[in-house]
Amino acid sequence: MNSGKIFGSIVLSLILVYVVLGAGEAWINPFSPASAMEQTILWELRIPRLLIAFAVGGMLAMAGSWFQVLLGNPLAEPYVLGVAGSSATGAILLMTIAGSVWLMSAGAFAGAMVGIATVMAFAYLGTGRLLLAGVVLAAFWGAFITLLLALMPEHDISLAFAWMMGDLSSSDIPTAILLLVWVIALLYGLSLSRSLDALLLGERHATMLGVDVPKLRRTLLILASFVTAIAVTAAGTIGFVGLVIPHLMRLLFGSLHRIALPASAFGGGLLLMLADAASRSVIAPAELPVGVLTAMIGVPLFLWLLLKRT
Amino acid sequence: MAVAEENMMVKVPVFETKNFSLVRGDRELFRGLDIEASPGTVVAVIGPNGAGKSSLLMALTAVLAPTSGECVIQGRAAGSYSRAELATLIAWQGELPPTEFGLTVEHRLKLAAMGSGDSGLMHHAVKEMGIGVLLSRNLAELSSGERQRVEIASVMLRDCSLWLFDEPTSHLDLQHQVTCLNMFRREARKGRVIVTVLHDIQQAASVADKVVLIDGRGGIECGDVRAMMVADKLESLFRVKLTTISLDGCEVHLPDYRDHKDMGER
Repeated sequence: MNSGKIFGSIVLSLILVYVVLGAGEAWINPFSPASAMEQTILWELRIPRLLIAFAVGGMLAMAGSWFQVLLGNPLAEPYVLGVAGSSATGAILLMTIAGSVWLMSAGAFAGAMVGIATVMAFAYLGTGRLLLAGVVLAAFWGAFITLLLALMPEHDISLAFAWMMGDLSSSDIPTAILLLVWVIALLYGLSLSRSLDALLLGERHATMLGVDVPKLRRTLLILASFVTAIAVTAAGTIGFVGLVIPHLMRLLFGSLHRIALPASAFGGGLLLMLADAASRSVIAPAELPVGVLTAMIGVPLFLWLLLKRT
Repeated sequence: MAVAEENMMVKVPVFETKNFSLVRGDRELFRGLDIEASPGTVVAVIGPNGAGKSSLLMALTAVLAPTSGECVIQGRAAGSYSRAELATLIAWQGELPPTEFGLTVEHRLKLAAMGSGDSGLMHHAVKEMGIGVLLSRNLAELSSGERQRVEIASVMLRDCSLWLFDEPTSHLDLQHQVTCLNMFRREARKGRVIVTVLHDIQQAASVADKVVLIDGRGGIECGDVRAMMVADKLESLFRVKLTTISLDGCEVHLPDYRDHKDMGER
C-alpha cells in the first residue's frame, strides 16, 4: 500500500519540478529552452532558486516535525520557541547599525544562536514549561522587532519587511551548503528515528522503552533549532511549511519516522518550490511574498485531507 | 528459551528491595519497604488515590531515585543499569499514550516490540486481548477500554522477567478484566514477576501472591496475600466499612455502597 503511495508521490514530484522550472514571467520548456537567453534564465536563475526553496522547505518541515514530537504538541512549528524572532531581531539590528544587506545574514545567524542559547537554558524544565518559555520569548523578540521598526528610517522599513516575509531569490549561504545541511539533517534525524518513534508515546513510555529522554530532548532541541536557524538565515521567515507538512505526511504515510521524516524533508521542499514558483508567476514580473503563498496552498490542502480522513 | 523460563530454573529473586523509601517534594510516600519477589510471583499494590502506588513502580525501575534503600533487579541495583538495559528487563503499562500524532494500533504495538518482531508473540497478544479487528485503526478512534487492551498487549510483546502494570483493569469491561487477570496468573507460572497496581480488592485477592498496602502517609506493608487482605487492615487503609462473607472457603470483603442517611427517604 505504501509503495504505491511512494511511487505516486515520486511521479507527482517530477511533474511538479517540471512545472516549477517552466513557470515564470514566460513559460520555458525545461527540456528545450528556445534561446540562449532562456537557457541562462533556466540555469542561472530558476534552478538555483528551486534548489534553495527545496532545501529551505525541507529543513523547515523536518524541524517542524522534530519540535512537534519534542514538545508533544501538534501545534508546534519551527518558530514556536522564538528562534525566528531572535534571528529577525539580529538581522534587523545589524542592518540598522551597519546598513549592509550582507551583514543581515550574519546578524540573522547570530540572532538565531542567541535565541537557541536562551531556550536551552529552559530545556531542563520539561516540555510544558519549555514551550511556555519559548512562546514568551517569541513574544519578546516580536516586541524587540517592533521597537527597531519604529526607530528605523523609513526607507529601511520596506527592506526589513521584505526580509521578514521570506525571500528565496538569493541566499547568502551557498546553495551547496544548504543542500548539504538538508542531507545531514535528514540522515542524522533518521539515525534517531527509533527514539523519536518511542517519544510519540510520551516521555514516560519512551523512558520505559530504553530511551534516555533528557539526552534525546537536548539533542533534538539543538538539531531542530540549528536547522531552523540555517533556514531562517537563508530565506527569512516562511511560515506554515513547518506546521502543515509534518501532519500532512503523517496522514499520508503514517507516523513512524523512518518514512514520515524523509517524506517531510521532500514534501516540505516541494511545497516551498511550488509556492515560490507561484509567487514569482502570479503577478509577474512583480513577486508576491512566498510566505503568503505557502499558507494559501498549504491551508486548503491540509483542511481537505483533514476532512477526508474523518 | 524465554527469559522468564530461565529465571524459573535458577530461582534468583527477580527483584528485591530493602528499607526502600521515597519522598517526593515535601511528602513522604513510603518508608522502609522490604520485598523479595522470586520468579512466578504476582504482587498487587493497593492503597488510596495519591498514596504513591505509581511512584512505587517508578522507583522500582529507577525513574525516581529512592531516598533510602535500593531496588536490586537480578542481582544489580536498578540505578546501575542504563535505560536501554532496564528496557530489556522491565516492561511497563501506565498512562494511555497520546493520540495527537495519529499512531495506528499496529504501529503502537510495533513500537512496544522494539524491533524484535516476534510474530508468534504478536499473534498471541493480539488474540488474547481481542484487538485483531482494531489493528489498522487510529488510537484516537478507540474507546479507553480498547486503548487499555492495546496497552496490555504491548506489555505482552515484551519477553521481560518483570512486568509492571499500573491499574491495568481500570477501563476494562468485566470480560476483559477476567481475561487480563487470568493472563497474569498464566504468565507468572512461566516464571515472570508481575507487579500490578489495582483498585479492586477482589481482583487483588484473587490474582496476587503478595500484597503491598500503601497508605500515603509513609506507611507501607508487604506480606502474603492471606495476611494482608483482612478486613481490619483494608478498613483502616481505605476508611470504609467492609462486610466479610465466606465464599467457597475464601473470605470476600464487600463495601456497602448505599448511603444510610438517605435510605429513609427512598
